[in-house]
Amino acid sequence: VRTSKKKDQARKERMAQIFDRSSNALARASLVLTGLIVIALGVTLDQLQRSPWVTRQGQRPDQPVPFSHKHHVQGLGVQCQYCHVTVETSSYAGIPPTKTCMNCHAQIWTNAQLLEPVRQSWATGQSLAWIKVHDLPDYVYFSHEIHVHKGIGCASCHGRVDQMPLMYAENTLQMEWCLDCHRNPAKNLRPTSEIYNNAWEKPSSDRPVWCAVGDEKRGVPTAESVNCVTKEPAENADEMSPLLGQIGIAPSKYIKFTSQDDLGRFLVVHYKIRTPNELASCEVCHR
Amino acid sequence: MSEIKNNLVGTIQPAPMTLVQIRQELKGQKGKQFWRSVDELANTPEFQAAVEREFPGSPHSWGDDVSRRGFLKFMGASMALAGLAGCTKQPDEPIYPYVKQPEDLILGKPMYFATAHPFVTGAVPLLVKCDQFRPIKIDGNPEHPYNQGSSDPFTQATLLDLYDPDRSQHVTYRGENREWAEFAVELRDKVISTKDGSGIYFLSETITSPTLARQWGEVKKAYPKATLVQYDPAVAGTAASRGFDPQYSLSNADVIVSLDADFLSGAAFPGFHKLVRQYAERRKDPTKLNRLYAIESTPTTTGLKAEHRLGLRASEIPAFAAELAKTVGVKGVESPAYNWTGEQKKFLAALAKDLKAHEGKSVVIGGLYQDGLMAELVLGINYALSNAGQTVFLPVEGPIYPFFHTDQNANLKALVADLNAGKVDWLVILNANPVYNAPADLEFTAAFEKAKMTAHLGSHVDETGQVAQWHIPAAHFLESWSDARAYDGTVSIVQPMIDPLYGGKTAHHFLQALLDEPGLSPYETVRETWKSIIKGDFETGWRKALHAGWVEGTANERLENVRPNIAYQAIIPFQIPGGLGNFSIEVSVPVPSPKDSLEIIFRPDPNIYDGRWSNVGWLQELPKPVTNLSWDNAAIVSGATLTKYGLEEDDIVELSVQGRKVKAPVIVAPGHPDNSVTVHLGYGREFAGRVGSGAGFNAYLIRTAASPFYAVGSMKKVEGKWGLAVTKSHYQDHRPKLFGGQGNGNNSLEGNEAISERGIIRYATLAEFKANPGFANEGSGHEKTDKDNTMFPNWEYKDNAWGMSIDMNSCTGCNACIVGCYAENNIAVVGKQQVRIGRNMQWLRIDTYFEGDLASPRAHFQPMACQHCENAPCEQVCPVGATVHTPEGLNAMVYNRCVGTRYCSNNCPYKVRRFNFLLYSDFETESLKLMRNPDVTVRSRGVMEKCTYCVQRISAAKIEADKENRAIRDGEILTACQQACPASAISFGNINDKQSKVAKLQADGRSYQVLADLNTRPRTKYVAAVLNPNPELEVAPVEHKPAKG
Repeated sequence: VRTSKKKDQARKERMAQIFDRSSNALARASLVLTGLIVIALGVTLDQLQRSPWVTRQGQRPDQPVPFSHKHHVQGLGVQCQYCHVTVETSSYAGIPPTKTCMNCHAQIWTNAQLLEPVRQSWATGQSLAWIKVHDLPDYVYFSHEIHVHKGIGCASCHGRVDQMPLMYAENTLQMEWCLDCHRNPAKNLRPTSEIYNNAWEKPSSDRPVWCAVGDEKRGVPTAESVNCVTKEPAENADEMSPLLGQIGIAPSKYIKFTSQDDLGRFLVVHYKIRTPNELASCEVCHR
Repeated sequence: MSEIKNNLVGTIQPAPMTLVQIRQELKGQKGKQFWRSVDELANTPEFQAAVEREFPGSPHSWGDDVSRRGFLKFMGASMALAGLAGCTKQPDEPIYPYVKQPEDLILGKPMYFATAHPFVTGAVPLLVKCDQFRPIKIDGNPEHPYNQGSSDPFTQATLLDLYDPDRSQHVTYRGENREWAEFAVELRDKVISTKDGSGIYFLSETITSPTLARQWGEVKKAYPKATLVQYDPAVAGTAASRGFDPQYSLSNADVIVSLDADFLSGAAFPGFHKLVRQYAERRKDPTKLNRLYAIESTPTTTGLKAEHRLGLRASEIPAFAAELAKTVGVKGVESPAYNWTGEQKKFLAALAKDLKAHEGKSVVIGGLYQDGLMAELVLGINYALSNAGQTVFLPVEGPIYPFFHTDQNANLKALVADLNAGKVDWLVILNANPVYNAPADLEFTAAFEKAKMTAHLGSHVDETGQVAQWHIPAAHFLESWSDARAYDGTVSIVQPMIDPLYGGKTAHHFLQALLDEPGLSPYETVRETWKSIIKGDFETGWRKALHAGWVEGTANERLENVRPNIAYQAIIPFQIPGGLGNFSIEVSVPVPSPKDSLEIIFRPDPNIYDGRWSNVGWLQELPKPVTNLSWDNAAIVSGATLTKYGLEEDDIVELSVQGRKVKAPVIVAPGHPDNSVTVHLGYGREFAGRVGSGAGFNAYLIRTAASPFYAVGSMKKVEGKWGLAVTKSHYQDHRPKLFGGQGNGNNSLEGNEAISERGIIRYATLAEFKANPGFANEGSGHEKTDKDNTMFPNWEYKDNAWGMSIDMNSCTGCNACIVGCYAENNIAVVGKQQVRIGRNMQWLRIDTYFEGDLASPRAHFQPMACQHCENAPCEQVCPVGATVHTPEGLNAMVYNRCVGTRYCSNNCPYKVRRFNFLLYSDFETESLKLMRNPDVTVRSRGVMEKCTYCVQRISAAKIEADKENRAIRDGEILTACQQACPASAISFGNINDKQSKVAKLQADGRSYQVLADLNTRPRTKYVAAVLNPNPELEVAPVEHKPAKG
């Protein structure tokens, strides 16, 4: 017996339990936890690359001059194209040359400390070095001209620039955001007469829009073939008659729209917007 | 190690040639026989092994010696980094707007300016595309009467020449940086001190600029003893350089005879653009076919394109021309007694008969690189055939600063004599490189050192720049003001597209420095020339000339009454006392060199010309026509000569002429005359730059002023192999029996299937075409595709459907399209070693299918790029959807999705996809960044790429059309290849628009699709060729016995 006890003792010493029974639960928990961590990591990374930290959505970088779009657009009523001159003719909207600033600031605020970099640039011929706020991912070819010709307003992508004291990106400019509209452009289309109107709001029963189609032959530029107004054409015939006479559409021809869906569908047809299939094709943006 | 590596990398070595085997191969075949390379004909085991791999040698070759373990280590590290990189954000990007923006600049829209490429054989009028005032694409001026928008490989490639990072950047004196003003003052003071200009010598490239001619005239007036010598190695000694420039008009020519004139392969031949256009116009309509005979000393695309081709040794050609002249009735010609073969006699008789039957409607074109007496014979023949005034015109140069025509070799000789006599105080070299390319017998380098002071104006510090005391960087023609004459005499104003990148100067600066107003800019100088000539208000006329691209009324007058002017009589003693039909010439043609002697023929290189474009990677990598050789020149011989000397391709031989020797690799060209070797000039440069230095061998070392075009010499084998990069065996598909091959060991698509079933090349003679106009789509192997026989649902193309049509009858294989594609699509240059393992990146290649006998083949040139299959095999196998179809039928490539599996390329039956095995694109060099097309992505490593039908141009046109609410007009989109093509062989457009040119061509009975039986439904269709052979010579050429000796 003794010997067997000794043997037991010896065996116990040799094969001491490393893990306690409770370890089983721990092991199971850790398995689950590992899975959770992996998932969490994935979700985090996924969120991270959509986050403003990566996309810079909403960030206001330090610019050489704290230029206020709000002051110039809302306050002074400067037209978008006064500075962004090529928005209708080229893929780039254009960043104004120092000369554009000096057109006014040679006369007003000529001693303002804030404008010192502008005067420096004008005197030395060195460009102002702005930081790009709307920085498209590489390998994307975007064209401003076709968007503004086909009824996408500035504010659809850039937000209420007229309310931005300092410029920031309203949207992510990521591919999913582009495709969201390319797959269903109707929800963002507006009359081309309202492209530069930052305060434009989608039509509703309170704010209806009336549109009519004029001469729709092929070869007529889009903006000229469709006319939209925000006042009832028949009631305001006196006020609008010079305009209506010019484009030759009778007030009775106008159709009333009270929702963006209806207006969008109408404009898709008459602005000849390509089909979602065509717009979402790779070669549209990548070459 | 290197031996092992070579085995692994498995380049396509030219297989050992066994002529017996090849003849055997040809003997058994009936009907039309095609082959792409001699290796393929011989079909050796080495060749089979090479084509079995899609990219030769790709499985084992990473191009460097990384072990498996090392590879895994690197992969692990790069995976980790890739993970991190995914989360990093784009860095802040600055915007630098203008301070004052140029008024008419719209950023993002290109601007076009007219100018001209001044070239030795005549300026090429251009319309240059500029992005933010950086030239990014060069094309012909579409409104210019001479080239009508077409260009050529040289002209296309001058763009890369402008941005060449190895261009010289500083004025130096004995290696130290100086200022231009210091030099100008020194030169001016010296010249003034001589009083009469004695001891002042200028050595210039050929002068084609009227302003430079005017300036020289003024210098000469002030300093009568100053001397100007022109020297261009590629034209020195030709009749053309002495003023013999007949204007051929091929529009009305039913029969065209080329006597060693290579007028279809490049701008090296004067009038190339116009001649190709007129030749091709007549090839497009089978009812208007012309007939081309070529008698040539080295195989060129002209000869291979001809209905009837006779390969003769260079010295035999004048004798043959003399026989021809006698046969068609030219008096006063003495031809040597010569033992012509039966075949040659038959050819001559049939040719003469055909010419006589087409009096007034034929033309005989003389070779550039033949003796002056050929010029006389050719004129004689054309006069005898009443072609003068019909298809041949002798131009009368207008009174406005005509070309200086000089005997360049004689003048250079005189200069060397003066140098040796110590008469030369100052030798100023203007854009020439005589230390490298002067005739070897003049010993120019030794003489050069005897000049008391030397100055060199050049774009690079080249061989001459290295030894000259002063070096001044030259401005590129895209950076300078000048003017230049085209072939037809029209003067274009050369206007700068960009400020000189490195402060370069032009020859105008040099000559102006000696005149009364030394500081006058070239702009003022050029205006000065034209002030007295442009009629009406000068400013209006000047602006008009700049805008249009040429000065009104400067074209040569045509001599309608066929009387050559005085200048001609100085060159050739040509008398027409009684007018047409009653003239005589006196020509005595020397006896050709003995049949068993070895003739060495010197020709400027088809790609880099005389060596001036050595450092242009596009041209170096471009496979040369006929041989498909890139990155080297070679001693080109016939198969029989190869056997006679006991050689194999790629062996090194020593060529010697009068004791001067050079070592060269050997390569075979089908159709090369026996006992004759062709060497191309322009290689073997020492100081060309990072690209060109060390490529090939220097053939100038054995070229003398006495015999600049061909010389009798000898050839012997020496030890070693050269390692040529030949692309002709690349991109051949391999298909075993299981998948539709014949399983007889002949695996290559082209060799096997082009012959019998697949009908890659389809053509008919005129008689066959008349009997059966639908020949291209009938018979076995020409089955139509079954649209519904596919697993995938068919897409209906409602709006635009892009398609291309390529006219096989017009394409002359000149390569202009390939270089145009390089520039438009930011294609990378990979280097010789990568080409050797089949990795050249050209999106477009020209497949050359030889037909018939090895010694006298005909060739078919087939431009081959992505076919944009509607049922594309590549798309079905891409695991990541990186290659997809667009709603308009383009086969699009999404670079950012591509992970580099290369399945698509495996599954492509046309072998048109190109993979970036390494980082081929240069993202570092600053000057090259300026050159890139901003509308096309620069591809990085690990990405597949291919022809996109120039999708960037389609998108631009679509935006423009959508803005205006209209359909895209036919002809609004030109692909880069189409735009460059001088033969207008390529058409592109919307095949859904039945009125479009491309739709009409695709509907033509001769249009066929390549490999249509695979049901790929390619969007590119080829128009089958119709040849117009002379019935008397129609029997397929049989192999003549190799010359004895």
